[in-house]
Amino acid sequence: MPYMGGDDAVRELRRALSNPNVQSDPLRYRNTILKVIRSMSQGVDVSGLFSEMVKACATVDIVQKKLVYVFLCSYAALNPELSLLVINTLRKDCQDPNPMVRSLALRNMTNLRLPSLVEYVEQPLTAGLRDRAACVRRVAVLGWAKLYNLQPTSEIDASVVNELYSLLRDPDPVVIVNCLRALEEILKEEGGVAINKPITHHLLNRLKECDVWGQCDILRVLQRYKPQSDDELFDILSLLDASLVSPHPPVMAATLSLFLHLCPDLPAVSQAALERVRGPLLAACGSASREMRFTALCHIQLLLRSLPGLMGAHYKRFFCGYAEPAYIKQRKMQVLVELVNDENVVMLLDELKGYCTDVNADTAQAAISAIGRIGRSYSDRCLEILTGLLGLKQDHITSAVVQTMRDLVWVCPQCSDTVCVALEGCEETLQDSQGRQALLWLLGVYGERVSSAPYTLEVFIDGVRSEASLGVKMELLTTAMRLFLCRPAETQDMLGRLLHYCIEEETDMCVRDQALLYYRLLHCGIEETRKVLHGPRSDPSLGVLIGRPAEPISQWASSFNTLEPLRQVAVETESVSRGSPEHVTTDLSVTLSGCRVHDVCSDGVGRCADSSADVPPPLSLSPSPALSPEEFERLWLQRRALHAERGAEKTGEEDFVRLEERVRCPAVPHCSPQSLQAAMQLLNIQTLAFTPPHALPWRVYLYTHTQHTHSDDTPRRTLILGELLCTGGDGDGEGEEGGGGATGDGVRKPEEEEVKVTLQQQPRDDEALRGFLSILTSVLHTLTSESE
Amino acid sequence: MIGGLFIYNHKGEVLISRVYRDDIGRNAVDAFRVNVIHARQQVRSPVTNIARTSFFHVKRSNIWLAAVTKQNVNATMVFEFLYKMCDVMAAYFGKISEENVKNNFVLIYELLDEILDFGYPQNSETGALKTFITQQGIKSQSKEEQAQITSQVTGQIGWRREGIKYRRNELFLDVLESVNLLMSPQGQVLSAHVSGRVVMKSYLSGMPECKFGMNDKIVIDKQNKGGSSEEGGKSGKQSIAIDDCTFHQCVRLSKFDSERSISFIPPDGDYELMRYRTTKDIILPFRVIPLVREVGRTKLEVKVVIKSNFKSSLLAQKIEVRIPTPLNTSGVQLICMKGKAKYKASENAIVWKIKRMAGMKESQISAEIELLPTNDKKKWARPPISMNFEVPFAPSGLKVRYLKVFEPKLNYSDHDVIKWVRYIGRSGIYETRC
Repeated sequence: MPYMGGDDAVRELRRALSNPNVQSDPLRYRNTILKVIRSMSQGVDVSGLFSEMVKACATVDIVQKKLVYVFLCSYAALNPELSLLVINTLRKDCQDPNPMVRSLALRNMTNLRLPSLVEYVEQPLTAGLRDRAACVRRVAVLGWAKLYNLQPTSEIDASVVNELYSLLRDPDPVVIVNCLRALEEILKEEGGVAINKPITHHLLNRLKECDVWGQCDILRVLQRYKPQSDDELFDILSLLDASLVSPHPPVMAATLSLFLHLCPDLPAVSQAALERVRGPLLAACGSASREMRFTALCHIQLLLRSLPGLMGAHYKRFFCGYAEPAYIKQRKMQVLVELVNDENVVMLLDELKGYCTDVNADTAQAAISAIGRIGRSYSDRCLEILTGLLGLKQDHITSAVVQTMRDLVWVCPQCSDTVCVALEGCEETLQDSQGRQALLWLLGVYGERVSSAPYTLEVFIDGVRSEASLGVKMELLTTAMRLFLCRPAETQDMLGRLLHYCIEEETDMCVRDQALLYYRLLHCGIEETRKVLHGPRSDPSLGVLIGRPAEPISQWASSFNTLEPLRQVAVETESVSRGSPEHVTTDLSVTLSGCRVHDVCSDGVGRCADSSADVPPPLSLSPSPALSPEEFERLWLQRRALHAERGAEKTGEEDFVRLEERVRCPAVPHCSPQSLQAAMQLLNIQTLAFTPPHALPWRVYLYTHTQHTHSDDTPRRTLILGELLCTGGDGDGEGEEGGGGATGDGVRKPEEEEVKVTLQQQPRDDEALRGFLSILTSVLHTLTSESE
Repeated sequence: MIGGLFIYNHKGEVLISRVYRDDIGRNAVDAFRVNVIHARQQVRSPVTNIARTSFFHVKRSNIWLAAVTKQNVNATMVFEFLYKMCDVMAAYFGKISEENVKNNFVLIYELLDEILDFGYPQNSETGALKTFITQQGIKSQSKEEQAQITSQVTGQIGWRREGIKYRRNELFLDVLESVNLLMSPQGQVLSAHVSGRVVMKSYLSGMPECKFGMNDKIVIDKQNKGGSSEEGGKSGKQSIAIDDCTFHQCVRLSKFDSERSISFIPPDGDYELMRYRTTKDIILPFRVIPLVREVGRTKLEVKVVIKSNFKSSLLAQKIEVRIPTPLNTSGVQLICMKGKAKYKASENAIVWKIKRMAGMKESQISAEIELLPTNDKKKWARPPISMNFEVPFAPSGLKVRYLKVFEPKLNYSDHDVIKWVRYIGRSGIYETRC
């Protein structure tokens, strides 16, 4: 009735409902009620028909009953008094011989959600718990939960709770699960249903009979159970093994979650479980429905945090289809970044390159930053792709590339040359503030190497009046200052103009204050300014070439199979919109408790931490002056060549010495780079590069400066370069130094227990070298004992 | 648990709203519409969090189904539930479209009442639900007959009632597969998988016990260990490795787990016996070889060769190749050896249709695409060439080895049953990058 207004429709319906002729003809009566429901769902307010509908409730026709109940449950809250009239009919229905009618009445009685009716509902609900039809018991059990939710303050009768506990042993599986759900709600204050051994075993035995939803709920509740003995634990685990590879993703996920909760102290078991679910998880990733794929991907990301190698061989499963929604593509790329290794890097980068020109700007941006992430380990290849992308001259791509380059340079300063060349001319295509901010940061930090930097800056400064973004203005100020420090002649004039504008005309307080700060700073003299403005160019804590360390499973186990892993999208995209990299607080500094020592000692000569007591006191180590990775590599190779030339003849060369030693510390190659680095930094040993833990051959490069007071009172400084190498089981074949031929020696312990330490010192100072070696050995031993 | 379930049309109008728990307010319905359906950008995630309420949505044609909750629930379960809900609705009234939802709203309310109670999933098997549902589904395009409503659920077996009788005992078995492929321009398979379904239609009397066997690698290998070695060589080649499979609830899973045999008491009428997925040794029915050459800025030459790669006695049908064209296409000249090709400007694609094609053949199309000169520097993203087809075999290589029926109580035996087996392989997402 599209032309009839709401009021007319209601009036018409009321007339029809109260017409005795209609009432006597069941079919017509039913159709009229159907019309009422239809208008209700179309949004017409038909609450005025409540009393007529209550009358219609008293019928033997189940179809009509159901229709009326739909109506009543929607409007009962508006008419609490009239609802009392329904209760009578409902209670009568509860006595009906047909179990369907009984369950229907019971369900709707509890669905009315009227606190005033509680007293009438309790009795039929109690009776319902003992009904012989399972469908009535199902409804009755949940009815108690609804009742409790209506009046959370009132006490639920202890006898009811007892009865519910006894119904946990009902023959019908749905009743069992409903009982569990109801008890969880009713006993929320006490921490949910009590999970003891008999209940657990009973539930586990009945698990197979339940449907998917029931199994999920049971598995979730069982997470609270603490097995009393290891035997019991393993019995439970082997019982659940079949559900772990269940074809239903919810059951699989719930089982895995239960596994992780049951054995937090047995990492081997959790790990085996994770490996076992790899198949089903990958299957879920390829399932036909995108939502399931998305959920599976989010959970895989979670697993990869602890087991980075879990999906390595299956990286092709994470290639994106053309028609997939952006949110899946972005997640897949995040996974792909984690899976990169020497064999697949070419293929992966090729694939990611394809996504960079995606129609969806967000996806393209995600692909570009994914390439940037991979660039931390494979910088040449990635930079080639990134510079290639600049050639497309598209604003969103250029912006993303510049931002990515900024982030990359911050972590890998050795890329800066390529980046500086690539930057030329890209300011023309940059439109958005994020990209321009990134460009400005790069110009400020590497200004002396970009020949056109002052010209680019001039364009920005000339346009500052029309600049809308606050972030760009702030960055522009800093950049102009930094550039002034390294190229004063070209920038002095424009810096003056910029400061003048910002101080005199700018309305934003932040910009104005910053400009004033810089202005006053300049008054203090150039050296002062340099000290303030010369921040680090790269992440000081990261000589690490790899990403996150493997986290313990317990860190995320509690959020597994909940909404949390799905929510992280928002957090990760936000990180793109940040400003300069130095403003980012890396979570690393939190994990490195001893990191601060490094700062304190930066004045040149630092004392060793007192913790290592066996260190001869006059030897002190210091990581500064800093050595860049390139310099390190050059020195290292040069020395090695020298060493090879000399061969075995041990010339007492004054300026250089090489030492090889084996240290037994089996756990060190398995501990995370972060903790190793933290430990080293405590003692002022700077680590430069790592292979990921568990990789073979496992290597660490490090260096330090020693200062050693000799007996003749002349302090001598030496530079020590070092390499830790662990080749694992396959002998020394990898180590170019060809160390010792230990493989043939049957008496020795397996190779993996030992780490070969190669040290190169210049100038030679045997005492200092020995001292250093003993420090290093004690660090390695400490780490070993800690990780055990 | 689910706090509420809403169904919207594509405009964001509420078609169905059912709230199960009091913590979901009336404004939740509008919040989802405003923030997701009417949002300007694309959907960012299937889960949206608005004001501490999570909305899980699934789209079917232009209908949005949203489940709402305030708790930190298990996401996989909610999605699985929404799919189940869609399946149940589809079983009652066919395709989920705005018209069907509007026509069947009473039925949907009734279903929502039975499937969820207080937000907890209760009973989601279509067969078992029929006992409780009074409304008939109204299909707008009703092809299949509505199965009869059974009067009461009996005994242990919820999916079959007792006392079914047919004069002719018949079984129809369809193996329906969709083959998905993503191929690089150089002809390297980037990913390929087959998702298949075994669909049955059974008209059998009594309570028959069925046993279904196929060339599953694990089973065949096991048999070969016991059997003679010469036979093993022959059948071993034809067996397939199934990555994962799921069954209708009637299949005894314990038996499948222990001995990999699929035995069940079938429901009456149509049902899906199993779903499976394979990724190894897939027979790719067609190979697409694209050649794109950019001749200057205003012309593009495209040549696409398709090769059929199956027995020459078989015929593929309904072949359609869709070659995307740039947005600034002004004209297209087409030459194809077989079938009909047309440039569809509205779809930005050349659509090449071939009615039938035998195996081991090849055919090609060449197109000259004229481009309008534009100053848009955007590079054309070159979407992949996609293909549709239907072939009369199973691309996974799955073969039905036997299907036996035992009914000890009634006097008909396995060979009195008339059995029909059919294989259909269709294309899923079958794309070749160019």
